[in-house]
Amino acid sequence: MPKVKFFATLREITGKREEIIKGDTVEDVLNTLYREYGEEFRKELRERSMILVNGKNIKHLEGLKTKVREEDTISIFPPAGGG
Amino acid sequence: MYGYHGKIARINLSTGKISVEKIDEDFAKKWLGTRGFGIHTLLKEIDPKVDPLSEGNKIIYSTGPLTGTAAPTGGRYMVITKSPLTGYIAMSNSGGFFGAELKFAGWDYLIVEGKSENPVYISIKDDDIEIKDASHIWGKKVSETERILLEEFGDKHAQIASIGPAGENLVKFSAIMNNGHRAAARGGVGAVMGSKKLKAIIVRGHKKTPLADRQKFISVVKEKINKLKNDPVAGSGLPKYGTAVLVNIINQNGLYPTRNFRSGVFEYAEEQSGEAMAAKYLKKNKPCYACPIGCGRVNVISSVGETEGPEYESLWALGAHLGINDLGSIIEANHICDEMGLDTISTGGTLATAMELYDRGILKQEDLGDAPPLRFGNTEVLHYYIKKIAKREGFGAKLAEGGYRLAESYGYIDAFMGVKKQELPAYDPRGAEGHGLGYATDNRGGDHIKAYMISPEILGYPVKMDPHDISDEKVKMLILFQDLTAVIDAAGLCVFTTFGLVADDYRDMLNAAMGWDLSTEEYLKIGERIWNAEHLFNLKAGLTAEEDTLPKRLTDEPMPEGPNKGHVVRLKEMLPRYYALRGWRDNGEISEEKIKELGLEEYL
Ligand code: SF4
Repeated sequence: MPKVKFFATLREITGKREEIIKGDTVEDVLNTLYREYGEEFRKELRERSMILVNGKNIKHLEGLKTKVREEDTISIFPPAGGG
Repeated sequence: MYGYHGKIARINLSTGKISVEKIDEDFAKKWLGTRGFGIHTLLKEIDPKVDPLSEGNKIIYSTGPLTGTAAPTGGRYMVITKSPLTGYIAMSNSGGFFGAELKFAGWDYLIVEGKSENPVYISIKDDDIEIKDASHIWGKKVSETERILLEEFGDKHAQIASIGPAGENLVKFSAIMNNGHRAAARGGVGAVMGSKKLKAIIVRGHKKTPLADRQKFISVVKEKINKLKNDPVAGSGLPKYGTAVLVNIINQNGLYPTRNFRSGVFEYAEEQSGEAMAAKYLKKNKPCYACPIGCGRVNVISSVGETEGPEYESLWALGAHLGINDLGSIIEANHICDEMGLDTISTGGTLATAMELYDRGILKQEDLGDAPPLRFGNTEVLHYYIKKIAKREGFGAKLAEGGYRLAESYGYIDAFMGVKKQELPAYDPRGAEGHGLGYATDNRGGDHIKAYMISPEILGYPVKMDPHDISDEKVKMLILFQDLTAVIDAAGLCVFTTFGLVADDYRDMLNAAMGWDLSTEEYLKIGERIWNAEHLFNLKAGLTAEEDTLPKRLTDEPMPEGPNKGHVVRLKEMLPRYYALRGWRDNGEISEEKIKELGLEEYL
């Protein structure tokens, strides 16, 4: 099962840095997270969030349909910037 | 004329003469402010080949039309001069409160020229400008300098821009500091002040910037402030974690430069991330003048008590870049850099070069004597060498010349990770190739803030672009970022507003302030003019296309690990298209048509 890493405010919401979540696609994993952590979690991801699978942005893979396997790491960030 | 006072001061430190000159609306429409005013002055008034630390160089402290107004982040000022580090233009800006106060005093910009025999500072009380003796503060750290000058000045609302010991000792990457921890950092602008024996400028003013229609301006500004406040990045991400939230993001994306760019993944990133800093050291956030974002950090560490920063760049330069994993020591090192008046990026970059030389056995312990070994990961290095650099003592004297000259003196230039002799910031462009083209073509050398391509390539604003796409679309985006950033800089605003505002928003605020009716395209044309004029100055100073390049490591050595494993920056494929899309010749010179189109003939 893929490992999910949380960052910034998502850590406060989940109370965790990482978690193993079942799922074959990024979408599966997200749906489980939405169920588990509710509206607050979903809201953080509504716009301009970033989801990486093994460091690659899913926008340049297959989006939410990107397949994930056991050894994969999914990193999820709420909207962020800096410089 | 609105948005400006129409007045500039020329202060000659050789003769002590101070004169007032006027600027008019045509001039303002051509150059807008800060960088525009600065490059105009350099092109008109100095020999581009002049020794930057000689009497012939000039230094300009400039506001923009929105500086000192209610526009969000409207507190910035810019220092423009010829850089002793790169030999090309330096334009370094700073937030805090100094810029706004200079504008309140009624000055659009100051031109400081010549060179004083003895240490002096410039005191500005509205219209009154005086050159005063600074022998009692020469040698003092920044906080001490600010304390003494404020007391002497007798008005606690005065604002100060000063140099620390590093600037006095002509360290090639010394900064100009204000409000203790805010820096016009890059390009060695502090050394130019030091060479003129100018310790500080203190200013207090009571004037309002004239505005075309105050009510309209306020309503436009309110709308933009709301936009920023409701923006998930500008309104909540940045205030909460500061810029250091990027540590984990950039590391997870595999472009967090580690140990002098040997890797893009740092194994200890988590321990020195924005999240870690917030949990352990953060007291509160702190905004600059009129800033609704407030990305600044106030941290508390046991050794120095309350301090500000480090920002993402400094945290990286004094941490991952050196393989150092000790957040407390990094925060303290950042504090020492501020007190000494050093650019943290180049300080870290120079130490990283030294560490690579040491690691390869080229720089030997016997060259260092009993000073700490310059080994990657050695925390001892930080505090020891930073102080030595600022004072140019021992091996610090060699480091004070910057990474390029250090690597050159050891005959191994590949250890220097920079562009045009300036050290690179905290993104390995093998994971964001457009950003790499940005490094190679930046008018001030290795730099990220004059065209922050990390925004589209990694963060996804205003659109998400593939970091490994090198099509014309990418090159055009870089050019747009370069020109738009020049407009934002010239307006007197902070580039972090781009996380929540778009080009039209800047147009709205500028038009409302000045009573102009310019289109977004017309403002971008001003940005393009500024960029080209700066490039023209560099060409006259001796720039050739060979220097629009990157260190070999980034173009020839594939990234060894992580998400970008196997990638290099395909600079050679992008650069000719960049020149062509800019309307420049194959050799990077500006075409006659472009010069004409931008009205730059008089500067040739
Ligand atoms: S965003 Fe940060 S750096 Fe920019 S003006 Fe605000 S506090 Fe200062």
